Amino acid sequence: MRHLITATVNGRERELSVKSSQTLLDVLRDDLRLKGTHEGCSVGVCGSCTVLVDGKPVSSCLMLASNAEGRDVLTIESLARDGNLDPVQQAFLDRQAFQCGFCTPGMIMAVKGLLNENPKPDEAEVRDYLSGNICRCGTYVEVMAAIEDLTAKPQ
Amino acid sequence: MSAVGSDVPRVDGNAKVSGSAQYTADIELPGMLHARALRSPHPHAKLVSVDVSKAAALPGVIAVVTRDDLEGLNPYYGAVVEDQPVLAIERVRCVGDIVAAVAAEEREIAEEAVELIEVEYEPLPAVFDVVEAAAPGAPIIHEERFETQAAVFREQLNLNAGGNVCSVFRAADGDMDAGFADADEIFENTYRMPPVQHGHIEPHVATAVWESPNRLVVHTPCQNAVGLQEQLARIFDLPESGVRVVVPFVGGGYGGKTHARLEPVTALLARKAGRPVQWVLTREEVFLTGRRYGGFVRMKTGFKRDGTLVAREVEVFYDLGAYALSGPANAKTGSYVASGPYRVPNRRLTTYAVYTNLPPAGPYRGVGVPHVAWAYESEMDRIARHLGMDPLELRLKNLLQEGDIFVTGESLVSVGISDCLRQAATGIGWRGREEQADNASEGSLRRGKGLAVIMKSTTTPTASAASVRLNSDGSVMLLTSSTEIGQGVRTCLAQIVAERLGFPVERVTVSAPDTDVTPYDKSTSSSRTTFHMGNAALRAAEEVREQLLEAGAQALEVDKADLELGAGGVSVRGVPDRSLTIPQLLRVKYGDSVGSIFGSCNFQVKGGLDPKTGKGKAAAFWFFSACAAEVEVDVETGKVRVLDIATSVDVGKAINPLQCWLQNEGSMLEALGAAFFEEMVFEQGQPVNGTLLEYMLPSMEDHPERFQSLLVETPHPDGPFGAKGAGEAVIPAVAPAIGNAVANALGGVNITELPLRPDRIVAALAEREAGVSGEK
Amino acid sequence: MRNFDLLEPKTVTEACRMLDDGEDVRPVSGGTALLILVKQGLLRPRTLVNLKKLEGANAITRDEAGAVRIEAMATIHQVETSPVVREHLPVLAAACHQVANIRIRHLATIGGNLAHGDHQSDPPGVLVALDAEVELSGTRGTRAMKLADFLLGTYETALEPGEMVTAVTVPPVRGRLVSDYLKFTTGSSEERPCAGITALVRLEGDRPVEARLAVGAVAARPLLLCETDPTEGALPRMAERASEEIDPIPDLRGSAEYKRHLVRVLGRRALAAAWKEACP
Ligand SMILES: Cc1cc2nc3c(=O)[nH]c(=O)nc-3n(C[C@H](O)[C@H](O)[C@H](O)COP(=O)(O)OP(=O)(O)OC[C@H]3O[C@@H](n4cnc5c(N)ncnc54)[C@H](O)[C@@H]3O)c2cc1C
Ligand code: FES
Ligand code: FES
Repeated sequence: MRHLITATVNGRERELSVKSSQTLLDVLRDDLRLKGTHEGCSVGVCGSCTVLVDGKPVSSCLMLASNAEGRDVLTIESLARDGNLDPVQQAFLDRQAFQCGFCTPGMIMAVKGLLNENPKPDEAEVRDYLSGNICRCGTYVEVMAAIEDLTAKPQ
Repeated sequence: MSAVGSDVPRVDGNAKVSGSAQYTADIELPGMLHARALRSPHPHAKLVSVDVSKAAALPGVIAVVTRDDLEGLNPYYGAVVEDQPVLAIERVRCVGDIVAAVAAEEREIAEEAVELIEVEYEPLPAVFDVVEAAAPGAPIIHEERFETQAAVFREQLNLNAGGNVCSVFRAADGDMDAGFADADEIFENTYRMPPVQHGHIEPHVATAVWESPNRLVVHTPCQNAVGLQEQLARIFDLPESGVRVVVPFVGGGYGGKTHARLEPVTALLARKAGRPVQWVLTREEVFLTGRRYGGFVRMKTGFKRDGTLVAREVEVFYDLGAYALSGPANAKTGSYVASGPYRVPNRRLTTYAVYTNLPPAGPYRGVGVPHVAWAYESEMDRIARHLGMDPLELRLKNLLQEGDIFVTGESLVSVGISDCLRQAATGIGWRGREEQADNASEGSLRRGKGLAVIMKSTTTPTASAASVRLNSDGSVMLLTSSTEIGQGVRTCLAQIVAERLGFPVERVTVSAPDTDVTPYDKSTSSSRTTFHMGNAALRAAEEVREQLLEAGAQALEVDKADLELGAGGVSVRGVPDRSLTIPQLLRVKYGDSVGSIFGSCNFQVKGGLDPKTGKGKAAAFWFFSACAAEVEVDVETGKVRVLDIATSVDVGKAINPLQCWLQNEGSMLEALGAAFFEEMVFEQGQPVNGTLLEYMLPSMEDHPERFQSLLVETPHPDGPFGAKGAGEAVIPAVAPAIGNAVANALGGVNITELPLRPDRIVAALAEREAGVSGEK
Repeated sequence: MRNFDLLEPKTVTEACRMLDDGEDVRPVSGGTALLILVKQGLLRPRTLVNLKKLEGANAITRDEAGAVRIEAMATIHQVETSPVVREHLPVLAAACHQVANIRIRHLATIGGNLAHGDHQSDPPGVLVALDAEVELSGTRGTRAMKLADFLLGTYETALEPGEMVTAVTVPPVRGRLVSDYLKFTTGSSEERPCAGITALVRLEGDRPVEARLAVGAVAARPLLLCETDPTEGALPRMAERASEEIDPIPDLRGSAEYKRHLVRVLGRRALAAAWKEACP
């Protein structure tokens, strides 16, 4: 069974025909070929599939695509504008807050979500919010430093 | 600014933060099919029949493969022992063994088809415990005779002796009986370490396509492109040049992607289907595909009252699971360091690599060393406590020193181990003897500190080759089969090449492995890349440099020695306006037909151990590390919090200090998980916690409150700029340092089995309480 | 994931009719539990009824009497951040904040959480302590029952075929409630609770008139103990009783014996913390 939905993906309104059993992640990767969103666990634990829906981070691997109807979906590909990185991406670069990079797009989107909800998080709030985004390579110290850079700067 | 020794930003950074880095699962080839496998639900069974007719008839299914499709191939493969069939043949040996695989137009169709395959099994007796498996009378897991392509292992392997012991390794020094007779006291204990997951967030994945019947192309996040190329060529009876292995970006490896895992089946499917096939493992399948060896260690130590170690006898059992992969080599790596980085005049070290009916293991960061380090470093603290000595002092007293002869007979160089230990201890504010006694406590909370120190070899003998190409515009390309698995190897190698040429790092690009183009490399493992490939790259760059200087000397009519090479080209030292740019130099060399300058090097380290005596050269270089930790234990719940942790590694020379930090942070975090909660649990061979919902990896909240990654730089005479390796250095020291801190917090209650789960801690405390009141 | 059809009702009546259509039909809300079961092949529904698109099904309101009503489709994150919940039922907000991770909390619903009947969960214990009721709607109408009676066991609830959870309500609190929620995990911070302990002290004026201790995630269903006219000295005994009465499910996080021990320790701590705040 298919569903015709309208959703805004990375700023562009799209009519999408999605299968009942497709997740948002499936649609992003397989249909829209937005491969920057990764699949690590498929069960909501790792966070490598994190995207923003109406500004809030979700595990796209567990969200039915049909529920994107009328929503605003942002993936990692939406961040850089005219060849300029988003401040969060830049802060990750400055702090070298990645190794293999597989968790990185999800981590960056989660940080976007965090700063949407709480522009000046303290360390405990950062840990609490991001603890569901798993980085096996070990970059938590640098991610925290990147966020510190971002929040220390006057906006 | 010098390229080497500074925190040069990673060359792959932009691709990774922008989401444009292409991983294997991101590749889509025209007409590509999706694969799914049918896996054994039995830990050990005879494969009576496999009927795929219904699956094959399902619309959308293009190919189904079973043992019948292995005809005409060399169906067994393996890195050291060729014991693993591409698909189960006579029997299945673990839950998860691949019995059949399907390629279909859609993933869901492949999934459905797998369920239509009918298999009849005849269960066989199975064995799961490594010590039981090694004992006579245990069910035999492999009855076939195997080949090995690895000449160095032939003598050590125990393959055709019957039984499940795949290999035995022995190393010895002195006289055991005399040693123990000389001891004032003797301690004897056993230690256990369960299997754990590598936990790379990118699952195993491969894409295969046959361009012609003689030409196979595989994309895979493999840490060992050339090794995989060789194995695929053997399986499919092709020349090595008939197999092209390309490695895109890799989403973490930690050893878990070192060997062929799903590539042979993917290639087989693609051949039958006549179309490209992609197979992405589900996380549940990853749990059945690779893991760290479980280990059991028996350790007997004789020591003097002043703390001098005089004798040590160690027996180690590594649980390989159903197939060996590089098990015998990894077991050996644990074996000769089983008595620790200490001077022990009399010792006997014996290691068994043993098959069990569990899913296959394989190398994981630190390979065999974490198991033995857990034992010998726990033991050191017990001895210190018993003698009332400062654990730091006891270790320093016994540690190996520069120039010491190791149990393998080689003389040790670049031994910064004591500095590592002191640095780590200072990092957490170690206060000597006092750490034994006055533990802070508040309510149910007890604090404690612990130390551990380790040494590890890099796999030897091996070779790495590299080519450097200088283009006419002055840009440089390094061709290498070293895999960027997140450790920063591309950046590190770019730094080395840039440094030698005097160019800015941005001018150097580093290839991803592509066996059509990039030269031989043993593998990206064993912390060997900076040293081996770094040396190869350095020398290849040197060749290019020489050619440039020669061209410059010719054109400028000066001696080569009077020239210097830099970003702008060649100039006469002290006379900057007598210079030539790179394009000009190329013109001098080639005339008007522009070309490129090429340099190459095949860097080899000879060595290896005599399998009978265990003597020779075990390592191109040894590396050393230490860890110190402070913990707070809630004695009522058993929950432990890490307040402070410091690691220290002797890297020889930090080519990129920030990337060294990141390596150590990753090692620390993986080891922290294994210290506290990571543990693959099986019941009768069935995984109990085989998903990431049940088996969790450390999170940002689990990260210690304070962490320091410290470096010692004791230059290695053979290393590029003195560098050794860092990738694995920290991991074996962390669990014992934490374990010792916990034992210290609990006033000497030792837990010998990892992980240090809260219930284990509470039980151990209760046991002591019962013991104490029992004594009264 | 295996294919299924997704029906998308706009009203509860429509949804119930769709649900009443045989064995292979199931409701799906956030999907965070259900889709995992489908992915793992443990469930093979032919049809899922998507409750996410029901209109106005996620409101959180408080009536004049003080009862708080949370519609089933409210996400865990909405509950956690709802001003009504934060002000009047802070312990529920605290427990919901501890559920899973931020991404799951944005998807998962309170209705799905309760209907799933997973004992290793944070909200049920707290809601039982708060005496919550669930509202169930089916083709045969609407009924309400105590959450404590609704939760029958691990993955077992009083839901009849064709029925769905439409709301959970917390009755008005007489006096003032001081509460504490302790989530205990044995491993990673991200784990499901090994124990979820709720302690409540209800005050009328300055006088503690009731103490409650609810133990979630340890046994197949939450355990609730109440004590009227409590004294500080009686609290440890309450924790002791909880540890005796509970029937823990042993698993990789610990044996039954260990979990009993935890209930005693954590019960005592949670009660002490609530008491300290109630009667400083
Ligand atoms: C990574 C991860 C970590 C987690 N950690 C925690 C944790 O720490 N603490 C915790 O408490 N929980 C945890 N959970 C569980 C989580 O709370 C539940 O998955 C979630 O609350 C279920 O809600 P849902 O809306 O997604 O339900 P769904 O998945 O949509 O449905 C769950 C079940 O309920 C049925 N159902 C759904 N809605 C209704 C309804 N309105 N009426 C009747 N039946 C219905 C479905 O048919 C299904 O059987 C975790 C989950 C994940 C994935
Ligand atoms: S892939 Fe979605 S959270 Fe891991
Ligand atoms: S960078 Fe590799 S998992 Fe995070």
